[in-house]
Amino acid sequence: MEKKKTAKSGSEKTDKIDFEKALQQLEEIAMKLEEGDLGLDESISQFEKGMRLAKFCREKLDEAERKIEILQKGADGNVRKKEVDVDAATGEIENEDDLQGSLL
Amino acid sequence: MNDNSIQQKVYTVAELTRSIKRTLEGRAEFNNLWVKGEIFNLTVHSSGHIYFSLRDNDAVISAVFFRHANRNLTFKLKEGMNILALGSITVYEKRGSYQINVSMVKQEGLGELQKRIEMLKQKLAAEGVFSPERKRPIPFLPRRLGIATSPTGAAVQDIIKVALRRYPTIEIIIAPAVVQGVDAPVSIARAIEELNRPEYRIDCIIAGRGGGSFEDLMPFNEELVVRAFYNSRVPIISAVGHQIDHPLCDDAADMFAPTPSAAAELAVPVKEDLEGEIEYLAIRTSNAVGSLFRDLNTRVESIRSRRIFRDPFEIVNRKEQLLGDMLNQMLSSLKDKVSSGKSRLLSIPDIRMIIRNLINTRKHSYIMALKAIEQLSPMAVLQRGYAIAMDEEGKVMRSVSDTGVDSLIRLLLSDGSLKCRVNSIERGGSDGKEKNG
Repeated sequence: MEKKKTAKSGSEKTDKIDFEKALQQLEEIAMKLEEGDLGLDESISQFEKGMRLAKFCREKLDEAERKIEILQKGADGNVRKKEVDVDAATGEIENEDDLQGSLL
Repeated sequence: MNDNSIQQKVYTVAELTRSIKRTLEGRAEFNNLWVKGEIFNLTVHSSGHIYFSLRDNDAVISAVFFRHANRNLTFKLKEGMNILALGSITVYEKRGSYQINVSMVKQEGLGELQKRIEMLKQKLAAEGVFSPERKRPIPFLPRRLGIATSPTGAAVQDIIKVALRRYPTIEIIIAPAVVQGVDAPVSIARAIEELNRPEYRIDCIIAGRGGGSFEDLMPFNEELVVRAFYNSRVPIISAVGHQIDHPLCDDAADMFAPTPSAAAELAVPVKEDLEGEIEYLAIRTSNAVGSLFRDLNTRVESIRSRRIFRDPFEIVNRKEQLLGDMLNQMLSSLKDKVSSGKSRLLSIPDIRMIIRNLINTRKHSYIMALKAIEQLSPMAVLQRGYAIAMDEEGKVMRSVSDTGVDSLIRLLLSDGSLKCRVNSIERGGSDGKEKNG
């Protein structure tokens, strides 16, 4: 289906492994190590993998940089983004004056 | 009686009117009430305000429908139309009149509209627009959120507020849309489509509006809007507030929420929780490895303290002794085995003896048989002293008449024969059977 195919392109920037999977793997590693059935070598390599996953997750969480933009239609008919200030407590857009009601 | 009347309060017209105004406008039931009636004296002013009266058989009330309230009207008011109006009673002091200040109208005969929605629903359902299998999961960690709604309404504020509270560093792109009135369907569809452009790299879209009347939410039942939700390539959450019946877009979206705030909660995880979870898991992982090391260390220590490491030869000696014991045990058991085998062998009767006995027995009976046979033989008789007389021709003689005097006869003895000449013949008596030689 058309929809399926493009569902991925919405997050095309994300790496081969996504945050959720990484977090899941980290949990599995923690559990496996806690069971204590792994040998020394395997334990160390799992531990290293776990630390890499934790680092990856932390980085993933900090990837986004707070930015609120609103789309506007210019006189030329093209749509462009305009960054706006927002009151985080109320969610209110502060420069409301230059807001357009729609993209029509 | 003048005094009496003077003692009563005298109002100015303005005071009286204000008092009436306070009384009427202050009554709770006169605020946000529904009234139904037929439109007449309809005037649409160039300012955009709409003035009309509502009447039924027995009464009339003036109505004012200001521009800011009527701009979201989804149909045209007409003379003679039966409507339901939502509004509050206000007093217009300059004219000394009261009226209903209308904030919303509904066309009576909503049945038609609902029929239309039902038909659209069936048509789209047949196309698979609402099919649950095509719904995609909402990304666990959206980096960039798209919002399609009015940029000035409560909905956008609620979504931004909740999203930033949960994830302070989230990125948001708002596509402005008119969410009620005739332009709303095209506008909403356009906003959703715009947010789908790949260059925005949006992970999840929330589209909707705050609560409102059935008419207010009507755009979200329009085919154009429902299809825009369906065609969104980015996972999309429908967020149309406080409705009794779900608008059709809810079923076309990947997920729907009862309010815009709820949609933001569905779409955006709590960053702090995730950070906490990562740290918790990292600590568990480190601790598990740490305790593995401690365990190993303890094991190494306990192994190192074992006797083999303290006095390695002792164990060798012990093993040697054990080995010697074992060897002795084996040997003696071997000896036992041999002697018991031997005695078992000895206890078996001598087979050769049996055979010899058997042979002897047989030999004896053979000899006996032989002897019996020998006794039948004339030779045996000869051994006991008898002799056989034969004539010259070797014929055995049984009678003295078988020969004559001077005849030669032969006497056969056990170990040879005698040739004899008969001197005389005596008949009878066996004593005379001498052989004369």
